[in-house]
Amino acid sequence: MDAELKVVGETTQFIVIKLGDEQYGIDIKYIDNIVRMQHITRVPKVDAYLKGVINLRGEVIPVMSIRIKMGLEPDVETKSSRIIILKLEQQGTIGVIVDEVKEVVTLENDQIEKIAYDSKDDKNSFLCGIGKYDGGLISLLDLNSVVLENV
Amino acid sequence: MDVSQYLEIFLDETSEHLQNLNTQILALEQEPGNMDTINEIFRAAHSLKGMAGTMGYKRMQNLTHDMENVFSEVRNGNISVKAGMIDVLFQCLDALEEYTTNIRENADEGTNDNEPLIKQLNDILNGGEGEESGAAAPAEAAAPAAAAPTGSSGGRKWLDIKLGDSERSVLKGAIEEGKKVYGLTVKVQESCILKAARAFLVFKAIEEIGEIILSNPSAQDIEDEKFDLDFSLIVISDAELDQVIAAAKSVSEIEEVTGDAVDPDSSAAPKEEAEPAKTEEAKPAEAAKPEAKPAPAAPAAPAASGKKAEEKKPTAGKPVVNRTVRVDIEKLDTLMNLVSELIIAKNSLVSASAASGTSNTAVNEQIEYLESVTTSLHESVMKVRMVPIESTVSKFPRMVRDLQKKLGKKMELYMTGEETELDRTVVDEIGDPLMHLLRNSADHGLESAEVRRERGKPEVGSIFLDAYQDGNNVVIEVRDDGNGIDTKAVRDKAIERGIITPEQAENMSEKDSIDLLFHAGFSTAKVVSDVSGRGVGLDVVKSKIEALSGEVEVKSKLGEGSSWIIRLPLTLAIIQALMVDIGNEKYAISLGSIQTIEDIAPSDVKFVQAKEVIQLRDLVIPLIRLNEILDVESKKDPNDNLVVVVVKKGDKQAGLVVDELIGQQEIVIKSLGKYINKCKIISGATVLGDGEVALILDANTLI
Repeated sequence: MDAELKVVGETTQFIVIKLGDEQYGIDIKYIDNIVRMQHITRVPKVDAYLKGVINLRGEVIPVMSIRIKMGLEPDVETKSSRIIILKLEQQGTIGVIVDEVKEVVTLENDQIEKIAYDSKDDKNSFLCGIGKYDGGLISLLDLNSVVLENV
Repeated sequence: MDVSQYLEIFLDETSEHLQNLNTQILALEQEPGNMDTINEIFRAAHSLKGMAGTMGYKRMQNLTHDMENVFSEVRNGNISVKAGMIDVLFQCLDALEEYTTNIRENADEGTNDNEPLIKQLNDILNGGEGEESGAAAPAEAAAPAAAAPTGSSGGRKWLDIKLGDSERSVLKGAIEEGKKVYGLTVKVQESCILKAARAFLVFKAIEEIGEIILSNPSAQDIEDEKFDLDFSLIVISDAELDQVIAAAKSVSEIEEVTGDAVDPDSSAAPKEEAEPAKTEEAKPAEAAKPEAKPAPAAPAAPAASGKKAEEKKPTAGKPVVNRTVRVDIEKLDTLMNLVSELIIAKNSLVSASAASGTSNTAVNEQIEYLESVTTSLHESVMKVRMVPIESTVSKFPRMVRDLQKKLGKKMELYMTGEETELDRTVVDEIGDPLMHLLRNSADHGLESAEVRRERGKPEVGSIFLDAYQDGNNVVIEVRDDGNGIDTKAVRDKAIERGIITPEQAENMSEKDSIDLLFHAGFSTAKVVSDVSGRGVGLDVVKSKIEALSGEVEVKSKLGEGSSWIIRLPLTLAIIQALMVDIGNEKYAISLGSIQTIEDIAPSDVKFVQAKEVIQLRDLVIPLIRLNEILDVESKKDPNDNLVVVVVKKGDKQAGLVVDELIGQQEIVIKSLGKYINKCKIISGATVLGDGEVALILDANTLI
């Protein structure tokens, strides 16, 4: 992903989601589907951020909470809650719970500011950059570290 | 010629032939005089050679060619089977295996010429033939040289035609008259429907400009369509080679015609393209063969027996025609997935009809009918995927034989139940673990001959491999009559390795000690040998079998031997399960592991060592409260009777306490994926009729 961001003039599309008051961006190329909140079957004896599994058209897909993984308040299910189905190379298909899906934005590469490595704290380590859009800021999620298992 | 499309078939068939050769050569070692075995070996070697030649794998063809020569001499009684020869033959098979592996991996046979092996083969030939006919020996030795240029053009099969004396004199006569002799191989297109008719037209076209002396297969067989895709001819003609080939090619649906001039003195050696030196060598080689063959058998009628050998050939390649179709395993997987989807859809239909509340007899009848159809459909697809474990275990006798030589111990492998069937994927995976166990038995289990003699056991150790079906499981047992497991030695070793503390060792039961063997990084062999003892054996065996949803059990008696029992489920995809309620969650328990379901009054629950147990028909069974293990709140009144599902694993039992039974259901097992793999007690998930996901409890890990 980093390599792609460096190329000048290239654009990347992000889906903007909300977790609490903050806006996050997920690279659209990893997104397979966005589904409404549905019953999640709990799986016992797993890390708290793994909420369980859902049935997505006959396939059993694990679902995780970004909030718990990032150390935020636990999810509160509302009408606007969604599960974003991600397709990742290593981990396969995974669903992540978000508070709200807002819009799709196209960011020029010069609108994206990379995060300096030394400023990484717990939460920042899940980000790969900050996007400036429409006067606001979007934290761009580094999905691989989001879904990476806790060691 | 583009042969890449045949590569898959070639590889499949080569493996089959190699396996067959392994088995047959082993049999030959036991029974050196058995003509059936020798013929079978010859046939397999011959087919291999032909296939390798067609595909253009020269080195492989050279080696098989020389092997075939040896077999052919054995068949003719010129060489007797000796132990040294069997060893060489096995080495050849290994070399062929290597070629095959190379081809499988990068579509190239590699660069190993295996010259030492070819030399050894030729030594065998020389040694064996010295007494019979001196001339034939160098001739055979030179044969590989001839085979090399042969292989380059792939289909020059007319070289295989054996000329009798009468034919040879006809050919010589023709040449003296200034005519030319050609060898032709005609290949019919694969899509051709009336092969015999095409062949007839080719015959006719050629006969207009020349005379067909001999064909392979025989003219009669060609007429009866008893040939594969090609046939070879020896033709006398005034015309040039190009004209003859053009005549043959003028017939439609003929894919390829290869041809060359033939020197009757060498039944069929190519004149061009090979360097003169080689050709010179090759000629006597090929010529000597037909002469050498009939000599010992029937010196009076050389021509006749030469013909006989030739007639045998067409039938040799394919013994019995099986009405089978080779199907890509992926296609079967797709089919299986579709059947799974169908069963999920059926389950949804059932629950939808139940939810609608209207009891319509017609609908119910149709649903029941649908149920029976899907169940038998599932069974049929399962059966298609089932293959006998024979394909995997048949390589073991050979392996044990090698081990015997390597370890210097005498042993014999007895196998039963090779016909037991298992899902294809399981059969493919089970080979390595079984091999480990057999090696383990041979290396660690069996004692040396001296020790066995001292102990009053027969010198030759026995290893047994028994397979049989037991309910929904297939059991494979590897047994030996060796030393058994010295649990004390195991414990000492474990302490030494830091796996357990000496205090722990004190209190260890026999069974726990044996389980130490499956600990990663454990190896009891005092010397690390080539065969086993790298410490990556049994733990790998165990994890592999568990990955197949199976289990391993060990029974051992010091001094008398040990047995390793592997249990595998018949199928991995769809099972009958009991659905239960625990708290607000639904779980499935495989019906295969359930023994009984009991209704137990709370007062009947006793305590042994502060653990809850129940007594059931003289057995004390520990209770496992699933709601505690699964961290769910039970919604049952503690004063109510307990619903206990008694499950078994081998001869151990446990009672699982659940809230409520829902019923029996056919479920499709879906993996939880590698992302959620920490939970050992859940073996998978399934989609229920209402679209909800239920988890499948693995009773084995609970006991």
